[in-house]
Amino acid sequence: MFRHIFLNFFCKKPAIGMDAIRAVTGGATGEWAGGPARLDAAFRRSIRIRQVDAGSCNACEWECTALGNPIYDVSRFGIDFVASPRHADVILVTGPVSLGMAGALKKTYLAVPEPKIVIACGDCAKDGGVYRDAYGVLDGAASVVPVDGYIPGCPPSPAAIMKCIMDILESAAK
Amino acid sequence: MSPENEKYIEVSAPDFSRKCAEYSRRHFLRMMFAADERELDGHFRVYAVFSPAGCDRFDILTMKLKEDNLSYESITPLVPAAHWYEREMRDMFGIIPSGHPDARPLIMHGMYGDVYPLRRDVTAAGIKNAVDLSREDGYSFMNVKGEGVYEIPVGPVHAGIIEPGHFRFSAVGETIYHLDPRLFFTHKGTEKLFESVGFEKGAQLAERISGVSSFSHSSAYCMAVERTAGIEISPRAKAVRTLIIELERLYNHIGDIGNMCAGTGFAVGYAKGAILKEELMALNERLTGSRYLRGINVTGGVTRDVFEDADEIISVLDGVKRGFKDFMEFLLDSVSHTERLEGTGLLSREIALRMGATGPAARASGISDDIRRAHPHLSYGSLIFEAHTYLKGDVYSRMMVRRDEVECSFSIIDSLMERRHEGELGTSINEIMAGRSALGYTEGPRGSIFYWIKAAGDGKPLRVKVRSASFCNWPLLSYAIHGNIVPDFPLVNKSFNLSYSGCDL
Ligand code: SF4
Repeated sequence: MFRHIFLNFFCKKPAIGMDAIRAVTGGATGEWAGGPARLDAAFRRSIRIRQVDAGSCNACEWECTALGNPIYDVSRFGIDFVASPRHADVILVTGPVSLGMAGALKKTYLAVPEPKIVIACGDCAKDGGVYRDAYGVLDGAASVVPVDGYIPGCPPSPAAIMKCIMDILESAAK
Repeated sequence: MSPENEKYIEVSAPDFSRKCAEYSRRHFLRMMFAADERELDGHFRVYAVFSPAGCDRFDILTMKLKEDNLSYESITPLVPAAHWYEREMRDMFGIIPSGHPDARPLIMHGMYGDVYPLRRDVTAAGIKNAVDLSREDGYSFMNVKGEGVYEIPVGPVHAGIIEPGHFRFSAVGETIYHLDPRLFFTHKGTEKLFESVGFEKGAQLAERISGVSSFSHSSAYCMAVERTAGIEISPRAKAVRTLIIELERLYNHIGDIGNMCAGTGFAVGYAKGAILKEELMALNERLTGSRYLRGINVTGGVTRDVFEDADEIISVLDGVKRGFKDFMEFLLDSVSHTERLEGTGLLSREIALRMGATGPAARASGISDDIRRAHPHLSYGSLIFEAHTYLKGDVYSRMMVRRDEVECSFSIIDSLMERRHEGELGTSINEIMAGRSALGYTEGPRGSIFYWIKAAGDGKPLRVKVRSASFCNWPLLSYAIHGNIVPDFPLVNKSFNLSYSGCDL
């Protein structure tokens, strides 16, 4: 069905985004490999993410933004990015955590209701990445908030972000 | 010795502000910065880079300052475009521009305390030790007083997937009277980091200064290193860089035009723009292995000849060209969209000029300035194109400048593809002698990008100054938003497409 919607939407060739998704999931049908079912079990198909930029170069955010475009369209899996941390289940942190953002990240974390999950997206958020030795950073999200899972890449592609979010949620739900 | 188009002019400290004012009348102020050169000659130095309109030359005024007297007469009262640069020098070096109208810090937030991070005798570890995260910022926002005036504080974590910054609106009813932004939440200490990673690895860092300008930044950085080393890269490497800079402009401008639709709540327009952008991003990935065009630029050249994939480029761009034409027709026919753009977020030519605007924001306000033409570099000297300008300075003009530039980029890519480009991909760089310096520059999607590099004695840079387009354009937002309604802020903001990370460094 998804494939059908996609083809209708673009009228032309198969979506590049779906190719990319197929490549990471190994799914041949264009349907997320078991995605919705897995999500259903864990979070009843409703995940709200508050993305927090803690000093990233902004490429990681653009890939998160791309998840909302018609090609990746994560909302069909029940995933949405929200503005208020009070509405969120997940905090997705990008960037090495600049000193200026350390306090704001902590406050945002505290504002998210329990149960909550923290995902560090991108190499910077893992351990500081290229910024590791700079004077203004804290070497990754884990230096401020407890991190449940990492998404590697600089930046990780939208398809990779999607796949990793699914995996992390699944293992967190166990 | 410095590259041919750079002329250094030594000025005494008491004369500096008068001289700068004189130059600013007929020249653009490209950037202003300081360097701690005590290890070379015992002094700090301040540089102001001017370029005369219509001439490929940089007149760089420079003065020495002694450590025991780091103050000079501020040039901001005479050259308003210098206002952020002077505050930056005060924060980073402790150089005091006396008489500067704004005494507040710019970059350093409260937790840093009193350190001057770019002084050479201050180490990264030393700065970290002095940091106290619980120290309040204490930034004093500009207050607007009067009946019915109220403040709306927003950020640093604010709506949607966006970089962090704090905005203090003073509004009367729905109308914004004044916007006072507090930025630099993502300040990471990038310029200092450049000094320790060395020339070669600096290219990877430059790629990560601002995500969607990765390639323009690394091109300008590599160019600065190459000019400092006194080498010239091959025509083939130049053509590859030129082509990819234009690819970067394409995905940015098309994405930006789409994003403006998000600012007016026009979901279909946003979606169409996002699809076109995504096709270009996928092309980027197939050509370079990175959606953000990373890994191609290295000091001394490029790692891949993307012209080998000419067929792929042509076929994808053909599709995008057609798609873009339909997209623009669709947008311009949608009165509900264009009506919101016209007359919104006005930036007058006068203010744009005096405040040193750059890129599409400047050209939409009638300033015909494009680094690709003003200072022909890479393959731009052999290409025929113009700087596209509009006169009104509203959101609509900023969209139309981008539309024209998209078409211009298509034709630049076409003409590059018709030619043969000879030479090696990479040129080796010998050791760079201490004290040598040079500029590197290009016109990125958001406007001009400048780097200035000076070599130290240890085979590493003594100073890498990064001047991104957004550093010039951020202060303009407060002027453009004055008198608009609060709900139009996202739209006006998107029309400038400012980078936080590229500005905060
Ligand atoms: S991981 Fe890479 S892409 Fe993401 S914020 Fe860091 S430097 Fe940018």
